[in-house]
Amino acid sequence: MTTDVAPLVLDEGPAATGEAGLASPAPPRRRGGPAEPDEPVGEVSRASVVGGHAVLVLLGLACIFPIYWLYVTSLRTSDDIFRLTPFPWPLSVSSYSEANKAVHIGRLLVNTIAVAGLTALGQMLVGLLAAYAFAAWRFRFSRLLYLAFVGTWLVPFQVTMLPNYTLLNRLGLLNTLAGVVIPNLCSALGLLMLRQHLDGFPKELLEAARMDGRSSWATLWTVVVPNLRPALAALGILLFVNSWNEYFWPALVLQRSNSVIQLGIASFIGSADQGLPWGPLSATAGLACLPVFVLYLALQRHVVNGFVHSGLK
Amino acid sequence: MFVETAPPSAARSPVTAARATWRRRLARAAVPYAYVAPALAMVVIWTYRPLVGTAQLSLYSWNLLPTAPARPVGLDNYRRLLELPDLGHAVGRTFLVIVGLLPFTLLVPVVVGLLTRRVRGRARTVYQAMIFAPFLVAPVAAASVWLWLLDLHQGVVNRALGLSVNWFNDPHLALWAVILMTGWSLLGFAVLVVAAGLAGINPDYAQAAALDGARRGQITRWVTLPLLSPTLVFLLLMTVLLSGQLTFPLINTVTQGGPLNSTTTIYYLLWDYGFRDFNAGLASAAGILFFLGFTVLAAGLVWLSEKVTFHDN
Repeated sequence: MTTDVAPLVLDEGPAATGEAGLASPAPPRRRGGPAEPDEPVGEVSRASVVGGHAVLVLLGLACIFPIYWLYVTSLRTSDDIFRLTPFPWPLSVSSYSEANKAVHIGRLLVNTIAVAGLTALGQMLVGLLAAYAFAAWRFRFSRLLYLAFVGTWLVPFQVTMLPNYTLLNRLGLLNTLAGVVIPNLCSALGLLMLRQHLDGFPKELLEAARMDGRSSWATLWTVVVPNLRPALAALGILLFVNSWNEYFWPALVLQRSNSVIQLGIASFIGSADQGLPWGPLSATAGLACLPVFVLYLALQRHVVNGFVHSGLK
Repeated sequence: MFVETAPPSAARSPVTAARATWRRRLARAAVPYAYVAPALAMVVIWTYRPLVGTAQLSLYSWNLLPTAPARPVGLDNYRRLLELPDLGHAVGRTFLVIVGLLPFTLLVPVVVGLLTRRVRGRARTVYQAMIFAPFLVAPVAAASVWLWLLDLHQGVVNRALGLSVNWFNDPHLALWAVILMTGWSLLGFAVLVVAAGLAGINPDYAQAAALDGARRGQITRWVTLPLLSPTLVFLLLMTVLLSGQLTFPLINTVTQGGPLNSTTTIYYLLWDYGFRDFNAGLASAAGILFFLGFTVLAAGLVWLSEKVTFHDN
């Protein structure tokens, strides 16, 4: 190992250094027969597998601890809030009822579901139509138009917020939920991901539908959409979660009414000067995360693939 | 003469026929544009129109009140911005945030990805879920969790480590606390992206290198990492593009740019100028400068990605 020029010698876990030292004097490595496709070359030492597990366990625990602590805090009685015991006992939902008294969590959740649901549906529809155009036709300016969508990533929210704010004001949409939904109806991310899916869609099927005399509109809904259902579901969840977690735009539009859940959480943080109401704050934040976790657990593989592939291509 | 002899009906019909086919062709050519239209309209109305609007506003002095007149001031806003130290400081802090996030979005994910290539199966799914979970936590909820964890007197971090660090009120530490919170959110996503990138590397290259007598560390340095470079450049681009969007809700709810402006990044400065000082002209001028700088930076990164990445064809 010491002779390596590589600054990053990372193949062995911390527990594996001893064994790796023994293994290294045999340069031409024996390759195992039916290796798995992404198997690294070299014999798979048991120690390096154990080391890999150790690394992942530690990192996983570090990542999950704040979330765990959030729910633990929300379930303590108000006298126990400052205790450090890892398990809350006795359990209590008083923080939740207190939070509900302060911000009407039920109404916030319903509002947020409506906003996130409508936003995700709108983004899917708008994105699907545009992605269909890019995938099924070759037309003049298509590259330029596509760049116009990608280019929206270069324009941060803060740069356009003043003109958008005045436009919403003129339309009378300030402090309304519609004002949160409408400006977000086109998602560049959604459009790009849909385009990838549609580009991979077999052109022969589109051609066959056209030969059958089907209109492009009918082809979209009877051929394309049914075949893309899993991808569309994953994307829909991703967009829903994005919109659910959105903070800027609701904060700007709904200044006078904290009517979505993210603003509900923020209202606790801003409310007290000395000593925040940790119990109700944790309860509200926990409830805000719960639907997202449930969706994630239910559709874990699809969602993870969706997130990761959105990044990779 | 010639015109008169030609029978009018015979002369007209090919013309109308030609016009009809021309019209039909036009209608057919218009179809893809019609599909793109809704998305394009949204992008134009909510991104590009306000971008132009911001450019116009930057030449005026206006306090955002509909009743107050906007006074043209030429380039005064730009002049003032470049004279004030705010902008330079904010850009410096934004840069610091990006650099501070790189361990979370590049270094640790690559190390973890390489260490854990051999861990697979159900255990891997569980670890991935644990590491990915923070990415699903809404920024405001994340802010409330970390406010609680890093609280001066009651926070778990200070109590467990026996410290009394005032994370959010110390001008030297507040920005690092923001970076820590953001890094916690992004880490899981980056780990998954790296894992997907590693899984996508064709093992033949590493096997060929091993056959030629390359050691494992050499393979990692000279084969695996170069082949991973598209993923790494993507993660870098993501860090640059997303850092502002992700830190903004944390800064807005937790520190409000303070203490002593130590967490006023460029994104927060724009917000401050617009909605705290109600100085639309200055906010717009800063927005335009920022947009231009951001575009140059992103173009540079895209150029870099074309330049340095190795493509596995």
